[in-house]
Amino acid sequence: MLSKGLRATQLYLPNNPVYQRAVDNIRAALRQIWQATDDLVFDVAETEVRWEDAVVYSQDNRSESVAWTLYKDGVRSLAFKPGIEEVEIVRFLGVLHQAKSLQADAPDDLLTLLWAQDFQFISYTFRELASENAVPIEAGATIPTTPPTQVRRYVEEEAPPKRAGLVSIDDFDTTLYFLEDKEVDYLKRDVEREYAQDLRRNVLAMLFDLLELQTYGTVRAELISILENFIPYLLGAADFRSVAFILRETRVILQRARELIPEHRQTLETMPTRLSQREALSQLIQSLDEATVHPTEEELSELFQELRAEALVTLIGWLPRLNNERVRDLVHGAAARLAQANAGEVLKALASEDSAAQLEMVKLAGRLKLPGAPDGMEPLLGSNDRTLKLAVVEALTAIASPSAMRLLEKAIEDADRDVRIAAVRFVASRGYRNAAPRVESIVTGSKLRNADLTEKMTFFEAFGSLVGARGIPVLEKMLVAKGLLGKKEDPETRACAAMALGKVRTPEARAVLERAAQDKEPLVRNAVSRALREVGG
Amino acid sequence: MSGGGPPRQASIAETIQTTDGFLRHAGREFLVVLYTSFRSLKLYPIENAQVQKALDDLAATTKHLLDVEKELELRLQGEFLFVNSTRLRLDLDNYASFSHILGVLRQCGVGAVRMLSYAAKEANPNKVFELGQKLTDGGVSFISVEPPLETDEDVEEEERQKEAAKRTYARSVAVTKEVINSIRMGRTANVKKVKRAVQAIVDQVLNNEASLVGLTTLRDYDEYTFTHSVNVCIFSVALGRKLGLTKLQLYDLGIAALFHDVGKSRVPLEVLNKQGGLSDEEWRIMQAHPWLGVLTLFGLRGYGEIPYRGMIVAYEHHMKTDLTGYPKSLRPRDLSIYSKIVSVADGFDAATSRRVYQTVPIQPDQVLKEMWENPRRGYDPIVVKAFINLIGIYPVGTCVILDTYEVAIVHSANPDVTHVHRPVVRVVASAEGAPHQPGFLADLAQRDAQGNFPRTIVKVTDPAKYGINISDHFV
Repeated sequence: MLSKGLRATQLYLPNNPVYQRAVDNIRAALRQIWQATDDLVFDVAETEVRWEDAVVYSQDNRSESVAWTLYKDGVRSLAFKPGIEEVEIVRFLGVLHQAKSLQADAPDDLLTLLWAQDFQFISYTFRELASENAVPIEAGATIPTTPPTQVRRYVEEEAPPKRAGLVSIDDFDTTLYFLEDKEVDYLKRDVEREYAQDLRRNVLAMLFDLLELQTYGTVRAELISILENFIPYLLGAADFRSVAFILRETRVILQRARELIPEHRQTLETMPTRLSQREALSQLIQSLDEATVHPTEEELSELFQELRAEALVTLIGWLPRLNNERVRDLVHGAAARLAQANAGEVLKALASEDSAAQLEMVKLAGRLKLPGAPDGMEPLLGSNDRTLKLAVVEALTAIASPSAMRLLEKAIEDADRDVRIAAVRFVASRGYRNAAPRVESIVTGSKLRNADLTEKMTFFEAFGSLVGARGIPVLEKMLVAKGLLGKKEDPETRACAAMALGKVRTPEARAVLERAAQDKEPLVRNAVSRALREVGG
Repeated sequence: MSGGGPPRQASIAETIQTTDGFLRHAGREFLVVLYTSFRSLKLYPIENAQVQKALDDLAATTKHLLDVEKELELRLQGEFLFVNSTRLRLDLDNYASFSHILGVLRQCGVGAVRMLSYAAKEANPNKVFELGQKLTDGGVSFISVEPPLETDEDVEEEERQKEAAKRTYARSVAVTKEVINSIRMGRTANVKKVKRAVQAIVDQVLNNEASLVGLTTLRDYDEYTFTHSVNVCIFSVALGRKLGLTKLQLYDLGIAALFHDVGKSRVPLEVLNKQGGLSDEEWRIMQAHPWLGVLTLFGLRGYGEIPYRGMIVAYEHHMKTDLTGYPKSLRPRDLSIYSKIVSVADGFDAATSRRVYQTVPIQPDQVLKEMWENPRRGYDPIVVKAFINLIGIYPVGTCVILDTYEVAIVHSANPDVTHVHRPVVRVVASAEGAPHQPGFLADLAQRDAQGNFPRTIVKVTDPAKYGINISDHFV
């Protein structure tokens, strides 16, 4: 039964029904046994377990034998008491399983593991197998005996009268024999503090004190190596706060430590950089995103605070891939901080080969209104990625710096319709008059010939907004004039011209619109009516 | 109201656990109120309101126990107190009351007190019988007293414990030696063995503290560095036990204590073993051992988990409570309680031992006095006080002269902490100077018929002067 339980422990997780059934079976069996006896004492041999001289378990195959697992580390008898079935049997199986998988040079064996469990319902006897070449304790070296007469003489010399230096209870505080309540409380608090403290932080503080105070090169080299090797360990243990502490204190050391040789200085300087490098940071973010238990925001932000500029590209690259909302917020926050302080890194991120990263950077640059970002966005407008280009346009609009507006102006003639519409709409809304000639040439030229109504309308409205009264003759001609053959422009163009006049908002524009108010074309009539409402009385 | 079906019967295990838990809890409460009553009665007359309150509390607690258990037995067995077969656990909240009552029972030669809800039992014809008779004469019919149970099995058990203690000690020293030498030679240390050694020390201290503490008096058993580490481990674990640490906490403390001087494995042997004074440079190297210990522990392969607590203790054990001492501390730091404990154990064992640069050890009582009275030593006074509570003003192994002109060796601290200055001693030389081999035990807290103490320590002396090898009496 125990063997089956052990196999179930090895093969299945605790929530697995097979495992649970195996444990339930052991429990049931033990409960039955307690009806008949008060304890269960087994003798353990190499391949078998005996109960009252009868073999109750035998397995010659050592790798599968419970007996061997117990025997090889020295256990020679095992006693179970009623109560074991409640909790301890499961822990016991866990210990057996752990012991079976231990390497020879592991820091534990079955005995150390059993001891650490402090079982109340399981006891065992064992044989100490390790030979430590212990020297038996024998009576001490012979000291020359002192004849009784001399002993008596010495005693008389020494004893009365009482000599200075004799310790008596009076020499001590009268309350010495007894710890006061407040002293007990003090000790209790100290023990609680001992187990509540951040041990790693404590040890790290030691290492940095030593690094600061010990000027020996070899000692510093050893300390730096310990710190370097410690970081991955801490990250693996999800102790982000300690990693942040290392990075922060490294800066302190660089400022304060005396006689720091260039080699050590350089290693220390590169320590925070290494964590900001793509591979290391990717590992960190990935593990965070996949973790089932997440560190607190405070812990993570402490670490992210320490990231260097070069981390930006990696952070940005990870943003679209993150599933965990909290991690995403933190990564976003760290990226924003770095982006605001490092224009060069923003450009690098915009030039990234990863289009998802580019997109995130563009969005972030727009949200942060980073004035230097448009320089890195120009090449993006040449890409084939429509979403990216639209994001660029939006970001440029948000940034709205002269260089951003110049790029937007260019985007007016983008190959993609949506980009063109977005660009011209934003240019118009910003009243960017430098773009007027380009808009005018599009409106008056042939580029809109094949455009749909929305695009046409957007361009015409932009034209009206940007060119103003100067554009009335052109628009009037389009709206009301007849051509050489007495033919007017197509209704769509005329409707667009009407909407453009509405944007001009002058009495002259109104006058032109009123002339077209009774146009036969419903599309035109509607446009004129809307434009008139826009122009106002 | 219960639902349908018969009421569920508690399993044997549940019953055992429930009873055990109840007795442990109620027993401790009983012990505390009993102790409070004793103290109140010592200070005030019985009419005093405080005394009356204490007695009322005692009556209520006793009744509560008797209601459930029908019978209440407080039994002294070895170093432990049992209430109806349940051993009471020591912790920080109750250890003073525990040791006081332990002491009172010992002093009176009472092994058990029974409070019966039905009948008094017959008492034995001895001192305890007299006490029992007096109780009866006084109209007390529901309390009986019994003498301590000292059977052949007890004696055998004591011998067995003593042998176990010797094995544990010898093995621990051997393991320490092996580990330190491995580190010194750049080999991988066997951490498993160290763990086993410390676990054995914890077990031994929990089972029979005195036998292991007695072995710390062994001098010249092996190189000082190794025996010292083991002694510090034993003293620390024993002190930790006194402070109510759990078994696993005692293990943490023990491992840290055993490794407190591990940095010395990186101190050149010619400095470590140099006779006479150290040069400034050599002294500086010696003073580096706490932080060298941290580096060493970082390099100790085979540890599953980095031994942070051990590092902290190695680093802090020469720091004073005001953070002076060495190494110098720049960043904010609160000394660990384990460092404070190890620091006291280390200071005591070092000063009372013979080392290359201290050929004459200082007498234990003088060391304790200095630790207690000289704040410049920088020990935590409360930890020192607890340590004195543990080992007594005259620690185990101290050679003393009694006012009877007898020479004696302190065998064990008096379990009653109010008698720290009256330990149990082994008289090894008569008033005439004749040696007693192996001598006999005398409890200095025991009074004669007139209420006087027949034996009192008047002087601590150098055992070598009297041809006494202290460890002979503990081995």
